[in-house]
Amino acid sequence: MKITLKLISLVAMLIALNWMYKQSKFIAFVDEHADQYLQLEKIKNCDVIYISASSNFPPENIQEADPRKISQFISDYFPTFQFEAINKPASHAGVYRKLLHIFPKDSEAKTFIITMNMRSFGPSWVNSDLETALNQSNVFYNHRPVLFNRLLLSLNAYDNKPAYERNELVQTQWANDPLPFEAPKNTVKNWCAVEKWGDWRNPTRQLADQFIKQYGFVIDENNSRVKDFDAICEIAEKRSYRLVFNILAENIETADSLVGKDLTSLMTQNAKWLESRYSEKGFKVVNNLHILKASNFTDKDFPTEHYDEEGRKIIAKNIASSLKTIIE
Amino acid sequence: MPFLIFLLSVVAIYFILPHRWRWMLLLAASYFFYGYWKIEYLGLILLSTVVDFFAAQFIASTDDHLKKKIGLSISLFTNLGLLVLFKYSGWFMTDVLHPISAISDSQLNGFQNFWNFALPVGISFYTFQTLGYSIDVYYGRAIPEKNPFKFALFVSFFPQLVAGPIERFSHLHKQLFKEQKFNYTFLQQGGRMILYGLFIKMCVADNISHVVDQIFEQQNEASALQLVLGALLFGIQIYSDFHGYSLIAIGTSRLLGIELMDNFNAPYTATSIREFWSKWHISLSTWFRDYLFIPLGGSRVSRLKLTTNILIVFIVSGLWHGANWTFVAWGAIHGCSYLMERWFISKDTAPWLKFPRWIATMSIVFIAWVFFRSESIEMAANYITNAVSSESTGIHLEWQAVSISFIGIFLLSDIHFKNRSIHSWLNEQGAIIRWSVYAFLIFSISCFAGITNHPFIYFQF
Repeated sequence: MKITLKLISLVAMLIALNWMYKQSKFIAFVDEHADQYLQLEKIKNCDVIYISASSNFPPENIQEADPRKISQFISDYFPTFQFEAINKPASHAGVYRKLLHIFPKDSEAKTFIITMNMRSFGPSWVNSDLETALNQSNVFYNHRPVLFNRLLLSLNAYDNKPAYERNELVQTQWANDPLPFEAPKNTVKNWCAVEKWGDWRNPTRQLADQFIKQYGFVIDENNSRVKDFDAICEIAEKRSYRLVFNILAENIETADSLVGKDLTSLMTQNAKWLESRYSEKGFKVVNNLHILKASNFTDKDFPTEHYDEEGRKIIAKNIASSLKTIIE
Repeated sequence: MPFLIFLLSVVAIYFILPHRWRWMLLLAASYFFYGYWKIEYLGLILLSTVVDFFAAQFIASTDDHLKKKIGLSISLFTNLGLLVLFKYSGWFMTDVLHPISAISDSQLNGFQNFWNFALPVGISFYTFQTLGYSIDVYYGRAIPEKNPFKFALFVSFFPQLVAGPIERFSHLHKQLFKEQKFNYTFLQQGGRMILYGLFIKMCVADNISHVVDQIFEQQNEASALQLVLGALLFGIQIYSDFHGYSLIAIGTSRLLGIELMDNFNAPYTATSIREFWSKWHISLSTWFRDYLFIPLGGSRVSRLKLTTNILIVFIVSGLWHGANWTFVAWGAIHGCSYLMERWFISKDTAPWLKFPRWIATMSIVFIAWVFFRSESIEMAANYITNAVSSESTGIHLEWQAVSISFIGIFLLSDIHFKNRSIHSWLNEQGAIIRWSVYAFLIFSISCFAGITNHPFIYFQF
């Protein structure tokens, strides 16, 4: 009896503390460490939500006539609909999954455009240094008492592997994950070793190596991002959300000129695998992989998904035409 | 968090199992716990355990003094050998032999390429614990354990494996195998200690650590006042960090009904260096007293030998913390101050002298902390020079105002809990005060703890 009373007192005390935290420190803390949490509540009653990493944004260092985001260009095609965007640099399906999970169930928004960034399926992004910060934010994207979430952060109860451990994982995968080619292109490490652009100090060689490292993998159902997208589909099915997956454009021309057809065919094969998997689940998949020219990519020294105005407009038009089939 | 799950599982299974199986559970849990850090290092603790087990059997089995000495030497050689290899060899080559040209650059590079292992966690603690056992058996103070697996549990008992308290065989061994019935008091005592330990580690130590880092890293730009503050804050940081850890270890063990020795007793209230060492890291300081100072001859030797012995003990104690001249300096400062006290200052203190003596003692302790925290002797000297002569206007320090309150609460409670624990203090309070304290601690840990990962400082030793 005495212990039961103590347990009840403990639970009551924790509920009171949770309330106190929510009323006092919570908003400021979340604003600093997991800003998308607050954003969700603000945009919950729009019509379409575009979720992506930094690919939605215009380049910072280039003057453009119309420096708007892809999501804004899409909205031009739907003047009567209200569009909102959730963008977090370096984020990926693991984060989108959490955001969708906590998205207010009473919201009016039922349509989501979610980017599929090819690089985000590869070892270097899956094990990126930035994961620790993203995992920290992810602790808050849960239906748990907010005080408990804060306690988990205090206890570092999330995947916070140090950078060297993450780097080891990347190196191991580059050295061991098999590619569907004969040696020496059978692993990323071996492939990079026979790159044709001379010495490793040659900037062209470095860029070619980066293309192999960023796109040299085979996507299958064991890929952690695929599991995240599968979970996103499950949430959508349960809540009757309409999803449009946007397979982002990649710099195929440069990949072809620097590394060759083996790499671009691998990229194409991976994109087709994603397209077929999620189309079969009944969702729209817009495959933009090949849609842009090399000149549309604003970063020239590393493979990224940052596009110029023309590139963003082309992607927006392609997505809009698919979106029309489900919301009009 | 994984530790919390592990701990709760072990405690639950421990009390469900019949008594005869419990020690096996603790042994398996302890090896799992150590292997979880890095599985390769299980080999080292196993080596230390096996050698000491057989060395103790050999020592106890013979009356021949020479054979006993051989047995003890094997134990000493193995444990200190492990420490030298993993902790001191790199420093010895780089900072001792290389500067005096005893080895060339290429030899040093060759060594560094070959021997680049990380320091195995807890090695300084378990080697000393098992070494203490061998010495106890040698002097006939302990009867050796006949079951090697039971002995392995004494060496590896997980609550105190990685950073102490360094236990004595006579104190811990019998408790490990004593039949315990589940008692609510165990949960109450253990829970309170863990909660308070988490508070002082996460709210006090972790919140001031980045201020200390800022001041020590920018010591040339910081003002004199900031440098003094940095030394004071580091003293509070290391105390709250290690005291917090010790309370968590003691509380964890208490959940299983096992009492570990206290490691601290309000050390910053000491009015002499001698008193400071009777209150600071008690399990280590008494270890050095019993297993080094007394075997060297204790106090009943000539004044010259006593001076040498005291300096040896303090310098070895400094070196125990790490392979760096800064730790030697830290030990030497304490050793010299201790000797000065012994020679020139009377033990009887008039009440009016207590405060000036406290100020003097704390000045020495906190100046010594500068050496302990610095990466080299030069940096420590530079820090102290700047602290008295810097004309800089200072650096911008980022810290939460709430940290100051936490420091105040911690230091005041420390004085209040002198010679007793938070658990016994709470027992004397009414329900409202008790539950208010719980609420305060839980709320503070949840809302004000830093979110950057700060490992316990003493894990590196």
